[in-house]
Amino acid sequence: MSDYAAAGSQAAQDAALFLRAAQELKAPAALDVIVSSSSPQIDVAASSIAVESWRPGIASVPIRADRLKVRSFFFPQTPGWREKFVAAQAAKTATAPAPTNVEPANDAAGGAKAFKSSTRIAPPKDVVKLEDRLYYVLQPPLESVFTGGTLDFPFTPFPYQFEGIAFLYPRFAAILADEMGLGKTMQAITTVRLLLHAGELRNVLLVCPKPLVTNWQREFQTWAGELPLTIIEGDQAKRRWQWHQTESPVKIANYEVVVRDRDIIDDESLKFDLVVLDESQRIKNRSGTTSEVVRSIRRTRSWALTGTPVENSADDLVGIFEFLQPGYLTPGMKPRRMGTLAADYIIRRTKDKVLTDLPPKMFRDVEIELSAAQRETYRLAEEEGVLRLTDMGPGLTIQHVFELVMRLKQICNFDPLTGESAKLERLEADLEEVVAGGRKALIFSQWVETLEKLGDRLGHLNPLYYHGQIPSAKRDGVLKRFKEDKKHPILLMSYGAGAVGLNLQFAGYVFLYDRWWNPAVEDQAINRAHRIGAAGPVTVTRFVAADTIEQRIDQVLREKRELFDSIFSDVEPSAAQSGLTHDEIFGLFRLRSPQGPIRFAA
Amino acid sequence: MGSGDKPSAVGGFYTVVAHEQHGLFGGLLLLNKSGRPLEFHCTAPIKPNRAQEILYGASLESYLYGEAIGAALLAKATSAPTFLCVENAAALAVREFVDAPVAMVVADAAPEAEDRPLFRVDAAHERGLHHVHFGPRKLALPKRFAGDAAALEQGLGLLPEHFDLAEPFARIRGAIEEAQRSGR
Repeated sequence: MSDYAAAGSQAAQDAALFLRAAQELKAPAALDVIVSSSSPQIDVAASSIAVESWRPGIASVPIRADRLKVRSFFFPQTPGWREKFVAAQAAKTATAPAPTNVEPANDAAGGAKAFKSSTRIAPPKDVVKLEDRLYYVLQPPLESVFTGGTLDFPFTPFPYQFEGIAFLYPRFAAILADEMGLGKTMQAITTVRLLLHAGELRNVLLVCPKPLVTNWQREFQTWAGELPLTIIEGDQAKRRWQWHQTESPVKIANYEVVVRDRDIIDDESLKFDLVVLDESQRIKNRSGTTSEVVRSIRRTRSWALTGTPVENSADDLVGIFEFLQPGYLTPGMKPRRMGTLAADYIIRRTKDKVLTDLPPKMFRDVEIELSAAQRETYRLAEEEGVLRLTDMGPGLTIQHVFELVMRLKQICNFDPLTGESAKLERLEADLEEVVAGGRKALIFSQWVETLEKLGDRLGHLNPLYYHGQIPSAKRDGVLKRFKEDKKHPILLMSYGAGAVGLNLQFAGYVFLYDRWWNPAVEDQAINRAHRIGAAGPVTVTRFVAADTIEQRIDQVLREKRELFDSIFSDVEPSAAQSGLTHDEIFGLFRLRSPQGPIRFAA
Repeated sequence: MGSGDKPSAVGGFYTVVAHEQHGLFGGLLLLNKSGRPLEFHCTAPIKPNRAQEILYGASLESYLYGEAIGAALLAKATSAPTFLCVENAAALAVREFVDAPVAMVVADAAPEAEDRPLFRVDAAHERGLHHVHFGPRKLALPKRFAGDAAALEQGLGLLPEHFDLAEPFARIRGAIEEAQRSGR
């Protein structure tokens, strides 16, 4: 007997038992068994079942139920960018271009990689409609895009980068706040690329600081080589045309151009599916012109990229949210509350959490004893300066205090009278070791003048310069020489020009000759070298002149780090203030504050 | 089923999720050639009662997976898949209700369950499974429909080369969970 027949026989026996039980209970001949409201209809004609020893010989067991409910969802299949591009090209030339060469991302062994992990796109909390949520839930895992061979990628992303892409993909308002060096650029470009190919985006505007435009251009060529780009530049007529042209789906503009072209941007016909702000801390000041103009750009999606969403105070984040979701965060909100509200909009990873393979970053805080001449100059300057501030009475402003701070910091770098510098002596000794080991070093200062003095004294090392006075057109060449020419082992950089967006991971040493006002900018500087691709550990040397204003500022910087942690970690907020008060700044010289709280400028 | 205006589905993926409290939820996902979702259909939960268990006996699972759930889902689909993949042998019974090859995706470690009873008792099925390998992909067809193998291979060829056939079932489970959550 086959299994099928055996099963049938068993079912007949079960049915007979069922009927027998029903009759024994004096149930009606025609049983009406309600199964459940959600069960399907089952009709069994008992006449087909032989129950020979029972009379009457016919019994019916109708089992009724509602029809099974089915919910259906249909998803739009918008033509992606490639289809539109190909169609447009075909219409123009009557010959469609050959499709871009597509190869799956390869692993180190050269074979197509089969991913074991799968990164899924999770709908954000503000997507409420079930159909919209399912659209994201039902998308294929991101890894399949890389193995599927439909798009080519130069490298296989790290798992945390897949997570970043999965985070950005469904979001209409998002901050990618990874620590510098984790590949925010690549994650943003790849997500833009996927959305363009999926037909969810058609035109994208990327706004970045001017020195980073070429960097973005390069990264787009690497990660999305098939996407035509437009760099908004040139005279006004050209720029007007560029803003409105629809040939390329991605436009790149620097912040200054955006501000300059505010009249063009005001045009109602100009609308973007996505605006991405790189180094979005540029709009932290809500009342600034840059913030105002950027916020006026008509757009559907808004993303912000920054390694430092909070530089000085928690209100910096409010400034960025005014671009993403106006009014969602408000000034003065408690950091912990702000962190909770912002959580679904922000993704932030740090190197120590996700890049366990990244070489370590080692800090050396070097306390420098000023030379005798420097010490004397410093003492006189401080005493005279404080005296002058005290004598100013009610006319004393924060600006006066800053001027003194700057003056004293410069003396810590070089004695203006003798040219002596205890820091330089130490730096020279350290650099000898660096150069002897065939390594390269970045040296940061906030003053071009200091960099030039250093350059004069370190002439035998053929230093290169990268600061605000180096023309933009020459900067890429400087970086290339530093990278490729062994004769140039050191690069003297200003925080302003060299802190963001540059990939200098071949440098194993970073020296902070003087300290910046906030730790975020220092971190950015350090992360030029300590980023993906770093071949070895990065040693960061921070010079602080002992018993000077530098040490007092160092204490302020530590407190700012605590503020950051209170927003972006689960740690209870510390007692650190979200900004510096007048009392604290004036306290650097034990002066009394005449007014209420103020905040440091970056 | 099917429409000239609608994009044609390359593959269909059908599975049933058992929930201890509510019963069985069915989900059918239709994908395009890139593996992106075109349609998703899911059922309200169904729970067989004692009478059904007795009357259907060993064929109950195949009946539920095939006719009760699978056929109901397929009836709602607007585009016809070139093939349908399932992950449970009982779901192969849905082949009776669709004019396309239906195959079970066989996990690497899974034993080839030749002797497991599969089909409802009132259908003239052949016993057992017909196993096929297309490159690294292992699948099993109902023996009675072994002739579907060529059409199945052709249909699978429309998907990206490295497409993981087991993966869409995870999507379906996620979607059913999401739909269930939204209904609470």
